[in-house]
Order: sequence, then structure tokens, then C-alpha cells
Amino acid sequence: MNLDNALQTFFVESHELLQAMEDALLDIEHSDDPVESVNAIFRAAHTIKGSAGLFGLDGIVAFTHVMESVLDKVRGNDLAIDDGMVALLLSCGDHIKVLLNSLVDGQEQSDPAVFAEGAVLIERLSKYLGASENQIEPATLPQQHETRVEAMGGGFVETDNWHISLHFGRSVLRNGMDPLSFLRYLGTMGRIVGISTLLDAIPPAAEMDHESCYLSFEINFQSDADKAAIEGAFEFVRDDCVIHILPPRSRIADFLELIQNLPEEDMRLGDMLVRCGTLTQKELEEALALQSAGASGNAPESGEEPKRPIGEIVVEAGMVQAPVVEAALEKQKHIKEAKGQENRVIRVDAEKLDNLINLVGELVIAGASASLLSHRSVDVPLQEATSNISRLVEEIRDSALQLRMVQIGETFRRFNRVVRDVSRELGKDIELLISGAETELDKTVVEKIGDPLMHLVRNAMDHGIESAELRQSRGKPAKGTLRLNAYHESGSIVIEVGDDGGGLNRERILKKAIDKGLVSPTQNLSDQEIYMLIFEAGFSTAEQVSNLSGRGVGMDVVRRNIEALRGTCELDSQEGQGSTVRIRLPLTLAIIDGFQIGVGSASYVVPLDMVKECLELSSEERQKAKDHHYINLRGEVLPFVRLRERFSEKGQAGPRENVVVVQYGGQKAGLVVDELMGELQAVIKPLGCLFGNLKGVSGSTILGNGEVALILDVPSLIQQAVNADTQMALSQA
Amino acid sequence: MENQSGSCQLRLEGEMTIFTAADIRERLFAPLPHCQQMDVDLSQVSELDSAGLQLMVLAKREATAMGKDIRFAGHSPAVLDVLEICGLTGYFGDPVVMAKGD
Amino acid sequence: MAKSILIVDDSVTLRQVVSIALKGAGYDVIEACDGKDALGKLNGQKIHLIVSDVNMPNMDGITFVQEAKKLPAYKFTPVIMLTTEAGEDKKSAGQAAGAKAWVVKPFKPEQMLTAVSKLILP
Repeated sequence: MNLDNALQTFFVESHELLQAMEDALLDIEHSDDPVESVNAIFRAAHTIKGSAGLFGLDGIVAFTHVMESVLDKVRGNDLAIDDGMVALLLSCGDHIKVLLNSLVDGQEQSDPAVFAEGAVLIERLSKYLGASENQIEPATLPQQHETRVEAMGGGFVETDNWHISLHFGRSVLRNGMDPLSFLRYLGTMGRIVGISTLLDAIPPAAEMDHESCYLSFEINFQSDADKAAIEGAFEFVRDDCVIHILPPRSRIADFLELIQNLPEEDMRLGDMLVRCGTLTQKELEEALALQSAGASGNAPESGEEPKRPIGEIVVEAGMVQAPVVEAALEKQKHIKEAKGQENRVIRVDAEKLDNLINLVGELVIAGASASLLSHRSVDVPLQEATSNISRLVEEIRDSALQLRMVQIGETFRRFNRVVRDVSRELGKDIELLISGAETELDKTVVEKIGDPLMHLVRNAMDHGIESAELRQSRGKPAKGTLRLNAYHESGSIVIEVGDDGGGLNRERILKKAIDKGLVSPTQNLSDQEIYMLIFEAGFSTAEQVSNLSGRGVGMDVVRRNIEALRGTCELDSQEGQGSTVRIRLPLTLAIIDGFQIGVGSASYVVPLDMVKECLELSSEERQKAKDHHYINLRGEVLPFVRLRERFSEKGQAGPRENVVVVQYGGQKAGLVVDELMGELQAVIKPLGCLFGNLKGVSGSTILGNGEVALILDVPSLIQQAVNADTQMALSQA
Repeated sequence: MENQSGSCQLRLEGEMTIFTAADIRERLFAPLPHCQQMDVDLSQVSELDSAGLQLMVLAKREATAMGKDIRFAGHSPAVLDVLEICGLTGYFGDPVVMAKGD
Repeated sequence: MAKSILIVDDSVTLRQVVSIALKGAGYDVIEACDGKDALGKLNGQKIHLIVSDVNMPNMDGITFVQEAKKLPAYKFTPVIMLTTEAGEDKKSAGQAAGAKAWVVKPFKPEQMLTAVSKLILP
């Protein structure tokens, strides 16, 4: 959708409206028709707000919203317009002009002074609104139906589809709402697998009003959309309809409730549910058996049960979609909204996207070379032009990478099914809690993270979470909990797989590792290091090899997969309370902001977000550092690696050396280099398989001058520095 | 409209919607007492909504109750689409010709 | 045969943007700048949906919908009202006049498209 022309229209129209507003304001005291003047002023604010919203110009919307609220009060005679207000509104008009002009100049973000001015005006406007002007709360959420009879129990239905029951009110057709439209719209959100149209309500010809609607539908609906989106489809008829939405795998008892709550005869409706494929015949029989059992128990409840009020959308919460904690709700709402918008999303061939990213990568390199050349020249306008281009290229790079960003929620949600199936297989009761589903990461990373996650999830269910009996004897709830969580942290995405199981047995792991010769009995290892041993090849602690995991392959494969994505694994464990595997991955595999450093004749690149600070290695420190591999950083011991030695660079170190302090996953180390060369954008080129095993290097990039620079694998270098330091300390001790 | 064998032919055209429901109802039901069998040609129906669908159902039901036969034929794409959406393609017991690629 | 939508709003920007969005999705669009203008454009041709603002000069949206619903050709035409979050009373007045669907201003073009497609698909 190209809105460039419309944006021009918006500027022109807004200026006209502001002019009209100004005229009306200046005129209002002498006006014959002050009401019309007030209306004109209101309309200007109202229209600008509405139009700005179309383009997502939130700053203007927010500002004009406050104006509109004040003017609405004036219009409703709740406020009198006085000289002070006229002056204020005039300044507000001027402010909107400033906002508009900065947009015309292409400055999306207005400068702080303008922002501050806006804040002052809003404050002054707010005084007119007084304390009574509380934001109108958005419409309350549809009520959850809570009167479920727990004792009813019963199994779950097999279907993976939604069931939607639509009973349209008589007046919908007269209101211009055709039930068929909503069915068609549903078709855009998923697939109607089965549908039964109930025609029984059409009365005999003599009583039938051909403008009334008598139709009801029972729909078996397959869709990835969530409850809110499905509910949203019926937003405009909810006042005139009885709508029931049952999520996939609802309890049979929920269907029984549905059958009982609808006016149709139970058996007839039951048949409809079978016919549209929602229930199997067996499930229906089970439901009706439940019903008769219930009826004999408390007779008055059957038959004359009060009907639900019309206009209520009843969403039965199945166990699968158990109520979520309050905090998570807010987050999920965003995902829901995002999912609701899925239909507007354009699908693009992933290959085209990759192609674009590659081209952007080339552009970044070409841009770097152009700016290098311009800096050598003394041509100031040229330098300005290239610096402009560099800035744009950077923005293009970010937007292009953004295109490939997807939410991890989709991947997480697939595990609902896995957890359900595997927990049945294992005979354990395990609940999956998902958080951080809206966290975004590169699509290429998402594609590759599925397998390792699958293994970790299965492993946690199999070995982590104990059997119900054991859990109860340990005083824990019988139901185990598995958590999938994701969040962003300094240029990385962190994905956590946690369980509330037995945790790792430190002694057992250590014993096994010694048996297998992975560590020597004399080695002094921290808990953390011992836990990490399970990621070593050929390690398995399960006493019983099960069908799922525990074959001793797996955790090391997980680690290798993660490392192939330039990521790392960590493990936290509390005996008796559970363990958490934390995977840390780069947000993207394509282009990074880097920091270029020089050693001898070669250049290296460090990912910028891992660079903590840079400092010069004083001659005093240099002397000391000859003997040991650490320096004193403001009283802190900082282990370091000399890149000159590490990469066997020829020649002697220059007269000056610098230390780049890098940080990753809570650990710090110094890299000793000759030269600090500044920031750059590095397009990551994978190393050929020849260099696949090269430690300390994660890729290469091409610099503006055409030379190749290696991208340093900071986590492994830190590890190296820390190890060397400890070993040195040990040997000295 | 009516021939010797007591069968009537009716052709509905244009919209069969709430806007035209009164007229459609009149045209469907007026001949019903006078003939044993009614054939309704739907090939010229450009639009069908819930109101139109309800009238088709009502006509079918009333005719059956009177011991008469009503047949819908030549279903236009607009009609087929609605029957398909509602899962009612088989309801009227009429042969339906699915247009290919339309 | 594309479905026709009448869009009534006094803001030329809004009409232009909504028009671009709807035409892009395959609808025909007729524009009117206020209620009076819109009534003048209702000359019996098929309109599948009316989208109307409430607050407009000359003739407001509620009066317009009331008048339009008096015409046989538009008696049952669905109407989407453009309301503001503050205008709850206007919303119920609109509903009484026969506008059962609404979109709250300010909205993004995509939101309008979603609301429209719930009532008619192109």
C-alpha cells in the first residue's frame, strides 16, 4: 500500500484545518455563531487526529487527543472557552504545525525541545480536564463462565479443531449482517472442516418473517488463530447472537454444557456436532451418559436450566488453554493482536528475502569502501554525502534484517502438543508454561533451533521431572511443570528450558565422568562445570535407558547444534527443585555491528555488543603481563589473551598495545591488540569447511578496502583466557 | 408457467436477498397451490444471502408438507457457493452441477 | 463484479487512505464528504456497505444513516460507523439508527480492511 500521495494530502489538509481553527479561535469572541466556531475547532483537532492515526503518527495522535478531549468538553458546555484557553489552543495549533513540518523534513523524531514544548502544552490542557477525566476503560473482557461442575470429569475430545456454535438472533439480517459473511470471514482465518446448518428454527410459512434470521450453525473449525481472533470475527454480531467457542481438545463435559445450553433438542444438537466432525459418536455417547448421570443426581438442574443471556460470547476455557497468570496475560494480548493481523501479512518467498539480505550485505561493503575513499579525499561535500549514505545503508540493513525477524511463539506453541503426547507416553502429568513468546529472532535461527529444543524438552520430561509418586513423596505438586521462556539480552536472544523436577545429581555426574575418563579424579570442579559435563559427547546419566532420550547421544548434539549457530549453552540446577538450560544465541546470522582491531598487518572484528571498553595497556602493566595472563582492571582481575600470540602473527608488538575488554554470558576477558580501528558493519561470511574447526574464529568479513578480516569467536576466546588464567593460578599455587 | 401435467416452471433472476425477499417469497409461494411439481431455475441468480436461503428451505418444506415436489435446478455459482458454505449442497435433494474452474 | 463501498467522511486524507486500502483489496469505492453529499450519491445503485463518520458538517453521520435506511435500496445495507473512544453515546445513537458495526478512530488502514472483510469479502 503506497501512501506517499495520501501523506501529501494529509499535510495539505492539516494545514488548511489548522488555518480554519486559527481563524475560528481569533474570531470566537465576535462570532455570531460561537457553537459553529467551536465545532470547527473541534473538527480540526478530531480530523487531524484521525488522519495522523492512519499513518501511525502516534505523537500527533497523542497530542491532538488531549486537545480533542478539552474541546469535546467545550462542545458539551462543560467548559467555557476563555481568553486563556484561546491563547493555549493557538499555541497548540502552532505546535501541531511544528510537528507536521518536522515530518515534511523527514524527521520522524522531533527534537527534544519540541517534545518538551508538547509536554508543557499537554500539561496545560490537562488542567482543563481536571481529575475527573479518567481514561475510559476499554470494554470489559467477555466473562468467563465459571459454573463448571468439576465432579463431572469426563475425558477430552480427540479433535484438534475449534468448535464454534453460532445461534444468530432474529434481527441480524435487518441490521445488514448476513450470517454467511461471518462464515466467509472465518474461511480467511482457517478452514471450516465441517459445518451443520440448523434449519429447525424456521417457523411454518404463516409465521415466518422473511426479514428475520432463523439460522444456526455448528462449525468444526481448523485454525492457528487464537480465541481472541476467532471471537473478533463476530465482534459486530455479538449483541445479537449466542456464540460459543470451544478450543481444541475441550472436555467432553464442556460440550455437554453447550448441548444443554442451546434451545435445540439435545439429541438433535448432539447429532449436529457429530455430523460436523467435532465429536465422534463415541464421544457423544459419553457426553449423554454424563448427562443422564448428572440428571439423576440433581434432577431440577436438567430441563429448565436458565439460558445464557443473549449477547454474551461464551468462551469455554479448555484445559489446554488453562488460565494464565495475570502478568503473562498482558504480554499474550500483544501476541494475540499480532496473530489477528496475520491475514494482512504478505507472504514472501524466503529465498527472495535471503537474496535481499545478501544484496544489503554487498551494499554495506560497497558503502564502507566508498566512505573510506571519501575520507581520504578532502572533499567535504563528498564526505557529507557518503556519511548520509552510510546512515541510510545502516537503516536499510536494520529494516532488512527486521524483515526476517519472527516471534519465537510459533516454535514454542508446537511444544504444547509434544508435551501433551510425551507426558501421556511417560505416564506423567506435565504442564507447559510459555513466556516471552513475542521475543523475536532471525528466521534462519528459528528454523535451526527446533531440534535442539525438542531434545531439551524431551530430556527434561523424561529425566528431569519425576514420577507423580516420587514428586508427592518429596512434597511437590503431583503435576510437573515445564517452562519455555525467551528474552533479549545484549544483542542475544536467550531461550530457557526449565523444569521443576529433581535437578541434576552432582555426585552421580562426577562419578560417571570419572568412570568415562572425561575428567580426572583429582580435578577440582565447580558445580557449574560438573553440570556442563552432561553436554560432553557420550554422556548419559539415566539409570534406565528409555525410549525417548537417554541414549547418551543428544545433549552433546544439542550443544554442537547451538554452537553451530554461534550460540552457547548454560545449565542451572538445584537438587530437588529442578534445572534450567539456558541457550544464548545471536539475534541474526547475517550482519553485525562490529569493532575492528588490528594486530600486526591483520584486521579482526569483534561483535560490538560484546565490547565492554577499550584501554591502553600501560608500560607498567606490560612488564607485569609478561609473566602472567591477567591485568588489574580497577582492582578486578582481568584475564587476557594476546591475539598476536593466539594467531601467530609475525613480528614484534608495536610500541603501544591496547586491551579490548569483552564480555559474554557474565564473564569478562581482555584481548590484547596493537591497534583500535573503530566501529564498522560486518557482513558475516561463513568460513569454508576447511576452517570449520578453527577455534576462536566464527566467520569472516570483507572490509571497505577489500581485505578480509576474521570475526573473533568471543565466547571461546573468553573461555580460553579464563582457563589459562586458572591453570596458571593452579600451577603457581 | 403451468402445463397439463400440473408442473410449473419458475425462473428466479438477480438477487435473492433480504432486499428482494418479499418478492421472491411471493413468486415461490403463489403458484404452489396450483401445481403438483415446481421446477425453479436458479441459473440467473446473481446473489444469495441467508434470507434467500431461508426461503428456499421454507419452500421445500412447505411443498413437501403439501405432498408436492419442488426442484431447484441450474444452480448459479452464487447459489452453489452458499450451499457449499453451509454444508447444504445435499439438503434439497436436487442434482447439482458443479461448474468446473468457475 | 467488485463489491461497492460508500465511504463518507469530511477528511479528504481519510477518504484517500481508506480508498487506497479498499481498492487495493479489490473493492469499488465511492466517496462522499458529508451526509448530504452521500445522500445525493445514493441513487438506487447497489451499495454493499456504507462506512460513515459521525461528526461531519452539513449533515452528520447519524442523520445520514437514518435517512439512508428510509430508502428501500439501502434499508438493509450494513453500516460501519467511525466512532471515537470518547463517543460512547454516539455509538449507541448510531446503533439505534441501524449502524451495528463500528471502527474506533484513529485506526490504521489494515484495521479498516479487517472490519470490512468481516461484513463483505471483495
